[in-house]
Amino acid sequence: MERLLPMACKSITSLVVVAAFGMAMPLAAAQKTGAMAQDFKLTDMYGKTVQLSSFRGKPVVMEWHNPGCPFVAKHYDSGNMQATQSAARKQGVIWLTINSGAKGKQGHMTGMEAQKLFKQQGMKSNYYLLDAKGVVGKAYAARTTPHMYIVDTTGKLVYQGGIDDKPTADKADIKTARNHVSAALTELKAGKNVSVREARPYGCSVKYAN
Amino acid sequence: MLLAMTTALLFAALIGLAPAMGPALSPANAQLNGKRELNVPAKLVAETQKVQAGQQVTLAFVMTPKPTWHGYWENPGDAGIGMSFDWTLPDGVTAGTARYPVPDRLLISGIMNYIYEGDYAVLVNLSLPDTIKPGPLPISVKSAWLACTDEVCVPEQDELSITLQVVEQAGGKDAVIAQNDAFNHYRNALPRPLGNPATFMVKDDLFRLSVPVPASLDIETPYFFIKEDGIVDYASPQKVNRDGDRLIIETAARGDALKAISGVLKIGPDTGLSLDASAGDVEMSGVPISTGDDSGNFTDGGGQSNAQFGARSTATLLFIALGGAIIGGLLLNLMPCVFPILSLKAISLAKAGGDEAVVRRDALAYTAGVVLVAAALGGLLLALRASGAAVGWAFQLQDPRIIFVLLALVTAIGFNLAGLFELPNVNFGNRLAQKDGAAGSFWTGALAAFVATPCTGPFMAAALGATIVLPPAAALIIFAGLGVGLALPFLLIAFVPAIRSRLPKPGPWLDGFRKAMAVPMFLTAIGLIWLLGRQIGTDGLALSLIFLLCAALILWWLGGGQAKGLSRGVVSTGALIAAIIGGVLFLPGEDAMDSRKMPNASAATLASEPFSEATLAQLRSDNRPVFAYFTADWCITCKANEAAAIQRQETADAFAAANVAVLMGDWTRADPTISNFLEKHGRAGVPLYLYYAPGKDPVILPQILTVSTLTELVA
Repeated sequence: MERLLPMACKSITSLVVVAAFGMAMPLAAAQKTGAMAQDFKLTDMYGKTVQLSSFRGKPVVMEWHNPGCPFVAKHYDSGNMQATQSAARKQGVIWLTINSGAKGKQGHMTGMEAQKLFKQQGMKSNYYLLDAKGVVGKAYAARTTPHMYIVDTTGKLVYQGGIDDKPTADKADIKTARNHVSAALTELKAGKNVSVREARPYGCSVKYAN
Repeated sequence: MLLAMTTALLFAALIGLAPAMGPALSPANAQLNGKRELNVPAKLVAETQKVQAGQQVTLAFVMTPKPTWHGYWENPGDAGIGMSFDWTLPDGVTAGTARYPVPDRLLISGIMNYIYEGDYAVLVNLSLPDTIKPGPLPISVKSAWLACTDEVCVPEQDELSITLQVVEQAGGKDAVIAQNDAFNHYRNALPRPLGNPATFMVKDDLFRLSVPVPASLDIETPYFFIKEDGIVDYASPQKVNRDGDRLIIETAARGDALKAISGVLKIGPDTGLSLDASAGDVEMSGVPISTGDDSGNFTDGGGQSNAQFGARSTATLLFIALGGAIIGGLLLNLMPCVFPILSLKAISLAKAGGDEAVVRRDALAYTAGVVLVAAALGGLLLALRASGAAVGWAFQLQDPRIIFVLLALVTAIGFNLAGLFELPNVNFGNRLAQKDGAAGSFWTGALAAFVATPCTGPFMAAALGATIVLPPAAALIIFAGLGVGLALPFLLIAFVPAIRSRLPKPGPWLDGFRKAMAVPMFLTAIGLIWLLGRQIGTDGLALSLIFLLCAALILWWLGGGQAKGLSRGVVSTGALIAAIIGGVLFLPGEDAMDSRKMPNASAATLASEPFSEATLAQLRSDNRPVFAYFTADWCITCKANEAAAIQRQETADAFAAANVAVLMGDWTRADPTISNFLEKHGRAGVPLYLYYAPGKDPVILPQILTVSTLTELVA
């Protein structure tokens, strides 16, 4: 947490008060749990185009990411997110980490920056997708980092919400929390219905373009 | 007793409380927590330093966000996190749920945050067990909260502690009371409980909430802050309707998993009502009222919110609002009150066709008249608002005297157009423009702007609404923009010869056209008569119409003289002014209007004195029976009881016969003395009805009163 502060301070200097009159629309209609998840194409950190529907037949996890966010740091510094990613991939799940941070805002990543961070943090996702315009983020009404979504093998959205049920920035809480994503994936694997289909996402707001 | 107090003080000093340093306060220093400085520092203070076994003490987490930083409400909105508390308390001591002040909104790139930007205090009550022994009472709490700017978030936490002093009950009241006045201020910022239950419905992706509030309650930019997550889409605008005694809010829904919800309905910059709602049917009935949602990014926290605007956004807002004002002003030209003036003036300009210079001079003079009057009305509006009056555009129409003057003016213009008389200076097209001179054009413009105000339609509301949040200079520019829009067709005619040449050439038809234009003017007059009638009733209306007739007759006489070539100008002007002043003087003033609008107000049947504990004590010691009632404008049960039981002749007669003193506590604005009194009687809100028979304990009357409930008290 100590190293977050310089980052925070730097961002304050470039603070822009956002108040675009009449233009700040609410996020587009969210995806409904139980309905088909909206298809999209995004470029990953290597410049490769990735399309959601191409993974049909496998469960897909989407994770909204912002490396500058303390709540994301809680799950990466503790290794919790990487462990969840590894476990998911072992079950044949595709994991998409998506960054909707707009250029100039906290957590925005270029492809190169993302590659470096990916190695540094030992991230285990299949793809790190860049969504600087926020199109996919808004289509899914991703509000926080992290904000998690699970699409089942048939393309239906079966979970959206927080990574777990302890909305804090305290790493110590991870041990006692229910990891909604792991739990849902385990249930899917066993051919059961997901028991917790929605939970409150927690974290920093997604830093969309103004 | 003195000995007991001294002992207590000495003891407190010995254990290091150092009460001399600060009365009743022992702030836990947030900055000492680790090395880092917090962005939203917290301080823990207690309302009273000394407490008794079996009683409660209120603690406050006083949060002081640094500039540009904010903290979160208990439901933080789309992102963010509320506060958490992990208490370490002596055995048997329990902490209640946290009570949060009414929050503000902050919408950033479509993500809604429910926040506090300025200093705020979160209150928690501690309950002490009966068995607790006198001595120091160490309180410690680990609290975590999220501090954010518009760009970054930092989770913060602090371990706060405070040591209170449990004192013997024997010490009496004096030993305990050293109340911290700041707590009155903190309590005033809390929402006040709305006693009546609300109803909500989630259907077809829409969330609707119906809240019972009296139709007479003034509400500014209402907004519903829901406590439960997953029901409402926070960032969607909220539409608000009023239907009699109900306020209905509609917004996009996110889910329908709950049968009961709660939240805070914000009805003014510092006022909120906390409410519970259960599922039921809600229709979007009634009349829409404007909400602050056109400007979703503004927090509505009064003065603070303005500071939050960046220069860029103010410029954007100004630009958009100015555009709206100019377009609105332009459209005003088509309104029945303005069109006749404009069209005839325009044609008269066309007549002057040859002389460009004269035409331009006249057009500029007309524009100056319009813009000056529009800006002057705007300036007056801003001044009234700054002085605290709740006024909107066309505020002048709230005063019947001004309506009467406008009515006289519009009628006179109508008669002028109809050809009853001519005017020497202000000229609507019957003469050549050259003869008008610049002064005539200026006054025509001024008149057009003033006469236009009743027609300022709803399409102007948004632009004018923006003037509330803009700095005064920028707001004045918007009012001036309205004037520019109004004058725009004129400027175009004057400065674009091509348009002028397209205008129909004046001829004998013009006289007929001018007379026809009297019709929209008289329609405007009828509209004003209707408005006047609603305000002063038919008796007053008849009287003012007689004065209006006098004015018309004088004008007729003036016109007759003009036809014969006689100048009756001075005499008729004097007579006309006398007739209008007569009309104004005979109109009922605002006081009378208020009592008409609110027949249930205190001026009515059962007279009362304002409540205070001192008055109550005095009346009690005089052995007089006392009826005390506590009400608020937003409390529908209160208003219903007042209409049905309290403000009734039978009640007033019975109370008068028994010499009952009536005390009324108005809690419309949070009043700490009343808040404390209500709390003492176990009530979080109004209504509260108490009857004090001489020498007996007070009786708390039921929430629903009837005349017989009250009359039987004294029977």
